[in-house]
Amino acid sequence: MSQSVASDFIEAFKDSAPVMFGYVPLGMAFGVLFQGLGYHWLFAPLAGVMIYAGSAQFMAVGLLAAGVSYAEAFVATLVLNSRHIFYGLSVMSRYPKGGLTRWYLIFGLTDETYSLITAKPPASSGGARYFAYLTGLNQSYWVIGCALGAGLQSFFAFDSRGFEFALVALFLVLLIEQVRTMSERWLLVVALGASVLAYSLFPNQFLLVAIGLCLAVLVVRLRSGGVHG
Amino acid sequence: MDNAYLLGIFAVMGVATFITRALPFVALSKVARHPILDRYGKSLPPMIMVVLVYFGLVSLEIESIDRGGLSGLSLAIVIVLHAYLRNPLLSILAGTGVYVVGIQGFGL
Repeated sequence: MSQSVASDFIEAFKDSAPVMFGYVPLGMAFGVLFQGLGYHWLFAPLAGVMIYAGSAQFMAVGLLAAGVSYAEAFVATLVLNSRHIFYGLSVMSRYPKGGLTRWYLIFGLTDETYSLITAKPPASSGGARYFAYLTGLNQSYWVIGCALGAGLQSFFAFDSRGFEFALVALFLVLLIEQVRTMSERWLLVVALGASVLAYSLFPNQFLLVAIGLCLAVLVVRLRSGGVHG
Repeated sequence: MDNAYLLGIFAVMGVATFITRALPFVALSKVARHPILDRYGKSLPPMIMVVLVYFGLVSLEIESIDRGGLSGLSLAIVIVLHAYLRNPLLSILAGTGVYVVGIQGFGL
């Protein structure tokens, strides 16, 4: 509860280190791609500051190259990121109720930050300050990656092939952690089935459909009153 | 290069991303303390993690048997290390290291 500023920061740094190994090379990949558009390289880290969404930023490169309208970019981003709507459900009770910190935490709620926060047992988390450090560190890794990729590209070509595995490994590790404390493990099979089904039917909207299916099963499950706890 | 257009696109995409993340907080703030939300909060994250692992595997674009074997080996390393040692950083670094060496060093 009354953890010190330093220990909150150190804990957040240790917890977020795996994200660093995923975000820096992935951000660099974005930076390299972005440089192909011909803008000043500083705009690449600026994208990481203003948008801060991996898949949306990769899409932005294509949108900018095509010269789409603001309205098209707005709608395309809403659709692409719509899975985030489900993330708030799991973390809202643990976030501070007001203030600037709350809105920054919401702004920075990426897949990876969401994963780290939900993998943390509620009792052990250092509260709003810990969440703020975690979110801020993750975003700084991403912004640094974007800057490195775009800024250094003219000096040497960084071979980032294979580093994308770090994010799969991170999700897998967090899954193992969450499975330990999960009571209804058959729901994981449901989630796998939803993934396979969503990918074969709607590969372009895979994440949204898969998570939507998972939520639908949960709604039916909870409505039927079969859950005790 | 039209810097104003670029900044406009960034701003529009930043706002749209923020809306998707903020929507449940704004729409459901009244029911934030409802116990039903806690149940979703407990069951949904591991399910979403399964979806994200699946999504990550699909994005690896495994098109050859070699690449499939390398992915399987790297995943197994992560699972075994994490099941026994429970050190997230070690599990992730070891699995990713094997995967990167396999792709860059052995051209798998």
